[in-house]
Amino acid sequence: MSLSGEDYINALLNPSSVAVIGATLRRDSIGNIITINLAKKYRGKLYLVNPRYTDINGIKAYPSIKEIGEPIDLAVIVVPAPLVPSVMREVSEAGTKAAIIISGGFSEVGEEGARLEEEVKKSAGKVRILGPNCIGVFNASTGLDTFFLPEERMGRPRPGPLALISQSGAVAGSILDWAARRNLGIGIAVNYGNKLDVTETDLMRFLALDPSVKVITMYMEGFKYPGEGRRFMEAAKEVSKRKPIIIYKAGRSRASKRAVASHTAALAGNYEIYSAAFKQAGLIESSSLRDMFDMAKALATQPLPRGRKVLILTDSGGMGVQATDSLEPLGLMVPELPETQRDRLRKILPPLAVVGNPIDLTGSATDEMYKSVLEEILPTDSVDMAMVIALMQLPGLTVNLANYIIEAKKYGKPVVAVSFGGNEFMARFNDALDKGGIPVYATPDRAAKALWALTEYAKVVGEIHE
Amino acid sequence: MRSMSDARSIIRKACSEGRTKLLEHEALDLLEAYGIPKPPHAFVNSAAEAVNAARRIGFPIALKVVSPDILHKSDVGGVVLGLQSEDEVEQGFNELMNNVKAKAPYARVAGVLVQWMVPNGLETIIGATRDDMFGGVIAFGLGGVFTEVLRDVSLRVSPIGEDDARAMIRETRASILLNGFRGMSKRDSEALVAALVKFSLLIDENEEIMEADLNPVIALEEGRGAYAADARFVLKC
Repeated sequence: MSLSGEDYINALLNPSSVAVIGATLRRDSIGNIITINLAKKYRGKLYLVNPRYTDINGIKAYPSIKEIGEPIDLAVIVVPAPLVPSVMREVSEAGTKAAIIISGGFSEVGEEGARLEEEVKKSAGKVRILGPNCIGVFNASTGLDTFFLPEERMGRPRPGPLALISQSGAVAGSILDWAARRNLGIGIAVNYGNKLDVTETDLMRFLALDPSVKVITMYMEGFKYPGEGRRFMEAAKEVSKRKPIIIYKAGRSRASKRAVASHTAALAGNYEIYSAAFKQAGLIESSSLRDMFDMAKALATQPLPRGRKVLILTDSGGMGVQATDSLEPLGLMVPELPETQRDRLRKILPPLAVVGNPIDLTGSATDEMYKSVLEEILPTDSVDMAMVIALMQLPGLTVNLANYIIEAKKYGKPVVAVSFGGNEFMARFNDALDKGGIPVYATPDRAAKALWALTEYAKVVGEIHE
Repeated sequence: MRSMSDARSIIRKACSEGRTKLLEHEALDLLEAYGIPKPPHAFVNSAAEAVNAARRIGFPIALKVVSPDILHKSDVGGVVLGLQSEDEVEQGFNELMNNVKAKAPYARVAGVLVQWMVPNGLETIIGATRDDMFGGVIAFGLGGVFTEVLRDVSLRVSPIGEDDARAMIRETRASILLNGFRGMSKRDSEALVAALVKFSLLIDENEEIMEADLNPVIALEEGRGAYAADARFVLKC
């Protein structure tokens, strides 16, 4: 991508000025919600454009973007589809760098819409376009927010290291709402709609360069243009070396397959090809949205393992068994510890504790026991990472255990926690872990998948070899 | 060894004749053009030619009718297997021709394929399909009659390198068998790796190929190679 190309996409995601074309006072309309959201939160310069008003909520309204008198970084277009081509011409003539066309009624509705979309393309000049038919961009740190869902319906997440690129606007909106509730930091989210110009490939490339983004998450249903999959792969191969990309591909059924003459074509279903391509390009594939963010939390906070050996430290034998069951099918190992280490642990731990792997501290577990085991084992070559299971229903544990687990980060190995239940005390414990940069999961299988993602990414960047 | 220009001329000829499938000997010639091992073969039109070819190729020999009109050769007696001598080849040729004349009198017969029979080994499949979004896609898996039942297959977008090919093999359960399961001898995986990489190049350089199956590709014992015993190519010109 050329420098100017980056500059234009930067204008799309981090504009210093925005003009809303189709800003309106009409309550609960898209133009109204976007205007209210931007007026309240956007930290750059905001201009409103609508020839029917001179003033909207106390902000001056211009009859045309050209009347503003200076070039604007980003135009957000919310006028009805038939008006978009002429608006786009003005946007281009005004020297605007980028535009988000929120309006629908283009190629997604059929032939006529497709023709209209073609017209928009022709009148765009050099302007880079996101959409049409999209929900646009949410940027937590600059307050750029074209998600036209009212705040009381869709919470906004805090700034954070995750980026989301979503083919579906509704899915993106629900993810942000969910993330806000869970205090998960999604710093930037983009929905690209019909992809008249800017594609998921462009967005991924750009986010690779953004230092505030540590992990890119993608929700995808499918590519649209011939050869697009291959271009995406080529870009993803480079980006995945710089930062992890987790992808969830929806649409996996075999229902619609063309008639084929060979075994191979019959075996190579549409989804199977996507999945193979993702693997080849170094992407980490998730099996659900929840799975995607479980893995993203770990990749955003943990170092990469240098091997596959996992220490399971638990206060419940049952949870420990589940952890082993979940880890092994994923290709992770739960090795027996060397006899010398087990001997030392037997001296530190009470006689009831089961010294193996998992190490089961049992119902008499205390914070100090967790601390001792982590200090004794985690720095050694016996293990490459740890899953710490703490059921906070036990009376011997306090919230201070979180600090001991957080301290174990100093060994430079991945540590994830499992904490299951519903009491207030547990919520405080989880919260402390979360704030200290230890991802915490409700069940061992989810923590196992997070460790698996770290291992997979370590393979992508060559830290672990097959 | 043939060259890429041979490959182009094979495909161009099929296209110019309006065919969407390569004939069997064309398919094998195409493999040869890319250095993909296949049993030595010859394309003949008489019993005498068949005998000469067999002498050159070595025994055992398989004879297969080549016809654009016959889809399932064995159904019309168009395949004769396990011929051990020149006499058997001569008899086999005549038998095959009589079978076809009786059971498929309408069929145009282009000739007969004389082919060395690959010894028993592990049957795998190497295949390709062309996807609108990703282009050429290469497949590897357990071959033979159970291919579609067991669906033991791994895929990659072409072109692939040797590491990709090794990973593809590793991902299938066929790899357990290739490594020598329960006293079975270890198979020539590296020969499969080489074949996969060359096949990927073939698919990349010939965009008319929409689908292809090399089935079976027979993996012999380690160091003895892997041979594509049968090949199908579907074209879109």
